Amino acid sequence: MIEEGHTPADAQVQTEPEAKAESKTEPMLVADNLTKRYEDGTLALNAVSFEVHPGCIYVMLGGNGAGKTTAINIFLNFIEPTEGETRVDGIVTHKEPLKAKAKLAYVSENVMLYPNFTAIQNLDFFAKLGGKKDYSRDDYRDVLLRVGLEEVAHSRRLRGYSKGMRQKCGIAIAILKDAPAILLDEPTSGLDPKSGREFTGLLDDLRSEGKAILMSTHDIFRAKDIADIVGIMDQGNLVMQKSRRELEGENLEQLYISYMAGYMEDAT
Amino acid sequence: MLGVLVEKELKSILQSPKFVATFAVSTLLILLSIFIGIQEYETAVAKYETATELVDQHFTEVTSFYQVENKVYRKPSVMQIFVSGVNNDVGSLSRISADRDVKLEQSAYSSDPLFAVFRFIDFTFIVQVVLSLFAILFTYDAINGERESGTLKLALSNAVPRGKYLFAKFIGSWLGLVIPLSIPVLIGLLLVVLFRVPITGTEWMKLGALFGVSLLYFTFFISLGLFVSSMTRRSSVSFLILLVFWINLVLIIPRGASMAAGQLVDVPSVADIEAQKDRYRTDQRQSLNKERSLRWRERFSGMQNLSRAERRAFYNQNRKEWEGEDNDYRTEMDVRVAEYNRQTNEALRNAKLSQERLAFTLSRFSPAAAYQLSAMNLGGTNTSIKTRYEDQMFAFRDNFNAYLSKSQREERAEIRRKAESKGGGRMMMFM
Repeated sequence: MIEEGHTPADAQVQTEPEAKAESKTEPMLVADNLTKRYEDGTLALNAVSFEVHPGCIYVMLGGNGAGKTTAINIFLNFIEPTEGETRVDGIVTHKEPLKAKAKLAYVSENVMLYPNFTAIQNLDFFAKLGGKKDYSRDDYRDVLLRVGLEEVAHSRRLRGYSKGMRQKCGIAIAILKDAPAILLDEPTSGLDPKSGREFTGLLDDLRSEGKAILMSTHDIFRAKDIADIVGIMDQGNLVMQKSRRELEGENLEQLYISYMAGYMEDAT
Repeated sequence: MLGVLVEKELKSILQSPKFVATFAVSTLLILLSIFIGIQEYETAVAKYETATELVDQHFTEVTSFYQVENKVYRKPSVMQIFVSGVNNDVGSLSRISADRDVKLEQSAYSSDPLFAVFRFIDFTFIVQVVLSLFAILFTYDAINGERESGTLKLALSNAVPRGKYLFAKFIGSWLGLVIPLSIPVLIGLLLVVLFRVPITGTEWMKLGALFGVSLLYFTFFISLGLFVSSMTRRSSVSFLILLVFWINLVLIIPRGASMAAGQLVDVPSVADIEAQKDRYRTDQRQSLNKERSLRWRERFSGMQNLSRAERRAFYNQNRKEWEGEDNDYRTEMDVRVAEYNRQTNEALRNAKLSQERLAFTLSRFSPAAAYQLSAMNLGGTNTSIKTRYEDQMFAFRDNFNAYLSKSQREERAEIRRKAESKGGGRMMMFM
């Protein structure tokens, strides 16, 4: 376990065996000593390592610029790591990106879809792009209802959709892809409390189906509610990583603030 | 995978307002241009037929070869409906006579200057200017627009090779432009058939080739648009870059090439050439007149001591020979003048050809100019139309003039023979 005042590297060394102990399966998502330094010198990720096992939800908590989205972008091969690597089901993402992406579903913070298409048309396109060509219109309707999008909106063009409605479509696309790993980059952003609760239920279902889920968020309460493992990130460093069992009886909000403050002190 | 991407691209394009605008504008312009082209072709054919009938009528009505005036008219071509080229700028007729050069006169624009101000918009112009602009409008935000909106990230989070994604964009945009082009073109061709415009098999093939060249032309602009769109982050930047490219390729380079060639290769003006030829002809005539006066003075010097009756007898005795000599000198002079004119014209034409060749070579850096030149070559309405017709008219003039002077000589001999048989004859010429 990471204690206050410990360095991030120490934290990972100490937590990895315990995290693995949570599950006996092989990890589906692995970040191994992941480092990303941009051309302007900014260190976005500093030797970050974590694993996400099938049927497990890993929540990355952190403020803006913590490196959460950078880590997800490396998994998707949108950017390449400076050092280290990410693996999906053992496939190194920057070496075999297409193979890795076939096993990944992704929901961004601000899901943008084709505004001239209806929700059904968007789902149809992205499902086919994800390699699922046998879905019927009823399948699309069912999944949209499952994510909480009312039927009346299914055949409407997305031009008039709110951000929350688009997020639901994005989640529906991820469900339709039926990939073994799901990357969620602040997916609840823009969802009202009711939709947020429904989303938590959806994640629970996906976990039960054995999906490995990596989610970044600012929302400490949702993280505590759903996460099997919580990792706190700050300025590119993984400053804390604790399992659900380890968090029992602890105040995550206080932990978050104290780890961040502790790390800030160390950094200065 | 490619099929899915292309299908999405096509759906996206077909549902977009820019497709509706492209389709409406292309249909309106292409149909209007073909319809006007057919009308103008039919008017030109009617004019041509009337004019040639008048020439035939003139030939049947004249009673002497000395009254013969001949004009040759340029026959309208069906291809001018689609590629007007320089058809309206080049004259439609030339007078055929011994003392005048072959020169195409009375172009459509010189007859109706209003049409020169608002020039005829043909199929080539629509493709060259309008469709190339549409190709840019279709593609300037094809990649960076999706990046800006966020759909690119979601699409590429799937196992989609980037090359395949780009190729699907290309095919989608290409088909999105081929449809607004093909449908009005097919309707336009139907109009051509309905109006019973006589198109030969070769012309149908040329039209097919013209369509193929048109596709190749806007394929370039689609590729350019996609390239710039994938290399820039913001669609506003790519639009600006592509607009600058378009202005340079379509408007500046073709005109700049002509101006540069004009500066690099010196071509004398038509006025200079005409003055040069006129000077030579005048000199030759003056020289001929002087020699003729001297010859006649010499001929009469032998008659000074003769009586009037003897002088007449002497004259009658030598008249034919002297007239023959004079005619020979005149013919020689005509040949010299004609040869000089031919050489001067040829020098002018060569200078023009060099200038033209240089202008075309330079302008081919622009696909717009290359397309226009190819289309004009296919349509037979390129700049060689003038030289092609004039060469044929020169050959015809030589044959016609030879026939006419022979006939005139025979007619003159016949008149003289008749006059002599009537009563000793009157002196047709006596000093």
